[in-house]
Amino acid sequence: MKTRGFLTQLVKTLSPLYPMAKRLLYRFHGGVFPKYNKELSLRQPLREGYIPKQLILPLQQHMGLPALPCVELGESVKKFQLIAQAAKGLSAPVHAPTSGKIIAIEPRVLPHASGLAQPCIVIEPDGLDSAITNVLAVNTPPQTPEAFKQLILNAGIVGMGGAGFPTFAKLPNQPGLVEHLVINGAECEPFITCDDMLMQTHPDEIIRGAQLVAQMFGIPHVVCAIENNKPKAIEAMRQACADSQITITEVATVYPMGGQKQLIQEVLGIEVPSGKHTIDIGIVMMNIATLRAIAHAVDKGQPLVSRFVTVSGLGLEQPYNINALLGTPFDELIALAKPKQPIDYPLIMGGPMMGVKLADNHVPVVKTSNCILANPPEPVQAPMACIRCGECADACPINLQPQQLYWHAQAHEYEQAEKLNLFDCIECGCCSFVCPSHIPLVQYYRHAKSEVREIRAQAQLTEQAKQRHEARQARIERDKQERDAKLAAKKAAVKQQAAQDTQDKKTAQPAHQTAESNREDAPKLSARERAIQMAKARQQAAKASPEQTQPAEKPAAASDDKRKAAMEAAKARAAAKKAQAELSTDQPKQESEKPELSVEDKRKAAMEAAKARAAAKKAQQETAK
Amino acid sequence: MSALAGILIFLGLSLAFGLLLGYAAVRFKVEGDPVAELIDKKLPQTQCGQCGYPGCKPYAEALAKGEAEVNLCIPGGEPTMLEIAELLQVEPKPMQAEATEPKPPMVALINEDLCIGCVLCIKACPVDAIVGATKMMHTVIKKECTGCELCIPVCPVDCIDMVFEQPTPQTWKWPDPKSAAESAQ
Amino acid sequence: MKSIYTSSPFAHNNSSVQKVMLQVQLAAFPALLAHILLFGYGIIIQWFLAVATALLVEYVMLKLRDKPVLPNVTDFSALITVTGLVFCIPPESPWWVIVSGSAFALVFGKHLYGGLGYNPFNPAMLGYAFLLISFPAEMTQWTLPKEIAGYSLSFWESFNHILFGAVAHAPIDSFTGATPLSAVKTGIQEGVSAQQMLQAPYLETGWWNLTAWGWINLAFLAGGAWLIYTRTIRWQYPVGFLGALGLMAWIFHSINPDLYAPVSFHLLFGGTMLAAFFIITDPVSSSTTPLGRLIYAAGIGVLVYVIRNWGAFPDGIAFAVLLLNIAVPLIDRYTQPRVLGHNR
Repeated sequence: MKTRGFLTQLVKTLSPLYPMAKRLLYRFHGGVFPKYNKELSLRQPLREGYIPKQLILPLQQHMGLPALPCVELGESVKKFQLIAQAAKGLSAPVHAPTSGKIIAIEPRVLPHASGLAQPCIVIEPDGLDSAITNVLAVNTPPQTPEAFKQLILNAGIVGMGGAGFPTFAKLPNQPGLVEHLVINGAECEPFITCDDMLMQTHPDEIIRGAQLVAQMFGIPHVVCAIENNKPKAIEAMRQACADSQITITEVATVYPMGGQKQLIQEVLGIEVPSGKHTIDIGIVMMNIATLRAIAHAVDKGQPLVSRFVTVSGLGLEQPYNINALLGTPFDELIALAKPKQPIDYPLIMGGPMMGVKLADNHVPVVKTSNCILANPPEPVQAPMACIRCGECADACPINLQPQQLYWHAQAHEYEQAEKLNLFDCIECGCCSFVCPSHIPLVQYYRHAKSEVREIRAQAQLTEQAKQRHEARQARIERDKQERDAKLAAKKAAVKQQAAQDTQDKKTAQPAHQTAESNREDAPKLSARERAIQMAKARQQAAKASPEQTQPAEKPAAASDDKRKAAMEAAKARAAAKKAQAELSTDQPKQESEKPELSVEDKRKAAMEAAKARAAAKKAQQETAK
Repeated sequence: MSALAGILIFLGLSLAFGLLLGYAAVRFKVEGDPVAELIDKKLPQTQCGQCGYPGCKPYAEALAKGEAEVNLCIPGGEPTMLEIAELLQVEPKPMQAEATEPKPPMVALINEDLCIGCVLCIKACPVDAIVGATKMMHTVIKKECTGCELCIPVCPVDCIDMVFEQPTPQTWKWPDPKSAAESAQ
Repeated sequence: MKSIYTSSPFAHNNSSVQKVMLQVQLAAFPALLAHILLFGYGIIIQWFLAVATALLVEYVMLKLRDKPVLPNVTDFSALITVTGLVFCIPPESPWWVIVSGSAFALVFGKHLYGGLGYNPFNPAMLGYAFLLISFPAEMTQWTLPKEIAGYSLSFWESFNHILFGAVAHAPIDSFTGATPLSAVKTGIQEGVSAQQMLQAPYLETGWWNLTAWGWINLAFLAGGAWLIYTRTIRWQYPVGFLGALGLMAWIFHSINPDLYAPVSFHLLFGGTMLAAFFIITDPVSSSTTPLGRLIYAAGIGVLVYVIRNWGAFPDGIAFAVLLLNIAVPLIDRYTQPRVLGHNR
């Protein structure tokens, strides 16, 4: 310990001369030292009680399945009221952050990199902020881990550090399985100070939450890690837990100290095995804001309806921290910070290292939004070729070889990239941060990961389709066999009766044989056969009148009328089919009962169908032109 | 004498290497997948029958026997054709007219207001992805639909449409920075 | 149109390829200064010739490759390539040596492979190897230091000599001679012991008991230290290279001091320090894993010693580097570091 202290001192003395010496101050590999700018948002006091004009509450603010709305349009809701319940499985419910009226349940743009719209409940606050007390009906603190987990689920608590993993799913079902509870107060991203502010203002609630979790799950070791650039928070937390078992650890200021694997390695010296959850090795890590939400749920019966958010950035006059209601639109919060210039550039949700650039600035604060960043756009350096300098490998906290990963990712050699442990990448951004060639490395990895995921999903679907098809074939075959067997048995019985002979057993034998030969000759795929032929016929029809096969715009008439119209259309089409089909002049139903065509004919028909289809497509394209 | 020594040495060597090779052939034997299996793996498994065979596997078997052309798989498009041609070591053939590029994935959607419950589409579906019963409304299990379009022509009231699957934040993919940069230029 | 789907991070440490290359150029200044002081102005003329060639070649090649010229020229990688080459060739060699060498290095070493970042071989060393093979006579006639020749060429004399081959008022042999490396090698082959060779008059020591070549090498060492400090190059390169070379020299010198020159000779003569800090550190063509760099550098050190003692050329840096360049993919593959949470 003494040598470590001496080393720390030595490195600190050297660090003005050689900044990278700071990498000796912590246990994990790599890491970077960005410009923090944390003081910006700490100048203003914490804001509270701001109620916006509208609250937009996405049904999915967490990892897993979206919640299911349980309120109706126009309904009045009170603060804390449940408005969407958790789906079965990994999910979390949503509660009303203030009282007001439901004015819409519709897709709105989410604070997500895709900029896609997803279902949201929109509340117009009435300004009264009238609340239901103890909405979670907690009279005595939960006694069993199951009850505790259920309460956390009911309160809608998810990991508030950024990932949004439903907290209940992180916890074990019985006490004694967890060895360490690590409280994450590192907050390593530049600009963000909401956790710092929370630790300064409500340390007792955080500690209370930690104690509740520790008691319920019998966790012997509880440690809270705070980066040493937050002396005020450390002091406040130390005071709050003076008479408890919880220890406060100062950790070095380095990005990404707040990463789960990194912080565990730093505080406990344990590496989380690749592909495993921390719970598998007896560790639970929780963000301080999550613990506070747990304390609120257990002590007051309050669900999660607000969170601390940092509103900061170089484009703002007065950056600040706010205890914001969930659903508050970003642009309203930004306006409160007096932008230096009109915000005509995309805001960033989260910090500059891992945040998400928003397609639309009118998106709501969700359970995982810790920061809204307004940094005016800077000229982007065009990416150059990788010179394999290895800076990225030196900065990678996972000890990957980003330059080699990049090589495979940009060449779309995903298998190779996976071999180089692509999926261990935590997308922290250190590699891109130090890249002298300004290559968007993280985006390459994100793209590669989503490609790999899609390829995997596709392979699974393909396999599934194959299995289902084979199962279907087998079923059809089996049905046929059974039918034939029955038929044969019947025939045999008839013969038996007709012959009225004593040698009944001998007659049954040949009858069975005929059944078998029948089965081999019988049409195997009458329905599919018909489908393929009809496809061909349709294409023939399409050749003549391509507009007919276009999915027509269905008029917004009553469904009865529509059906009539459709029947008429179908009749007309059937007539057309009749007239124009070449191979089959009969009605489709008759066709299926007819003896089947030879394999050769089948193929010919199919080829013609394909050709007809091609022709139809051409015709369509031409008409489109 | 030296000639004899040379002969002996080389005899011994050839014997040793022969044994080594024989051992290696047994020890590291690669169980070759039958060709049809390999081709089947390359096919898109839509079971659409556009190749003229009643499913992907029959087409693969026909290809393996050399009875079919390599360019018949419409959903697989050119990439699949090239893969098959490479596997069978035959000349690639141009695809017929359409579908040189694979289509974006689509699924069938039954307009439930129009469906008359005729079960024709259920019989036509090669992967049993449509559920329903006679005189009852049918519906497509989106997850299972391969987008083969076989149900469309059999529908007597034309109530089945092919629709694109809308991306969700879960299925959304980060764009490739390289192609994004190229398109930006 | 810029895509909104730009991924985080939205911060950068402001490093750039240009800055990296300029750092290297800056670090080469002490050696350049020492060179001028000890061997005259030849190197400046050579450097300007090389830069002019580089600009021309870059322009033509980028035009031919249909790439934008300005951003690709201003990455300064060509500057570093030719600077490395300039230090390798004799300062008074005729102009076409450096011009053809630079052009070869850039065309065949860089552009034909797809430009900066895609070249498997160190371009400077490719150019140098080309010159060594093509013009062996010119490449071994090194200018003698002032103290030995007793005479040094003025700037204009050097200029005339390099460009027009005009010898001022002294025969060329009077101010050029074999490099110490080749002299010692020939001496040993003729049966003179290494120690005796090192006391030969043309290796007269100057200030602080160091020869001119020793000073040049120390200047490179100083520049290299700066590069390590600024994290432009990695410590593994010089440590691996100098360590391996020194170790080889020490072992063989201990076995037979008459046949094998001492460690100090190997470290302070020839292009040892130039290679250690400026040549083998070219990241594009070298290994990228930490252990891989060490192996790569040590491999070059061993090969350099082998070529110096038993090869056909007096110094083996060019060939050693090129040989190890070939081995880089293999080294990278087998020196993957342990990823967090994996057991090897």
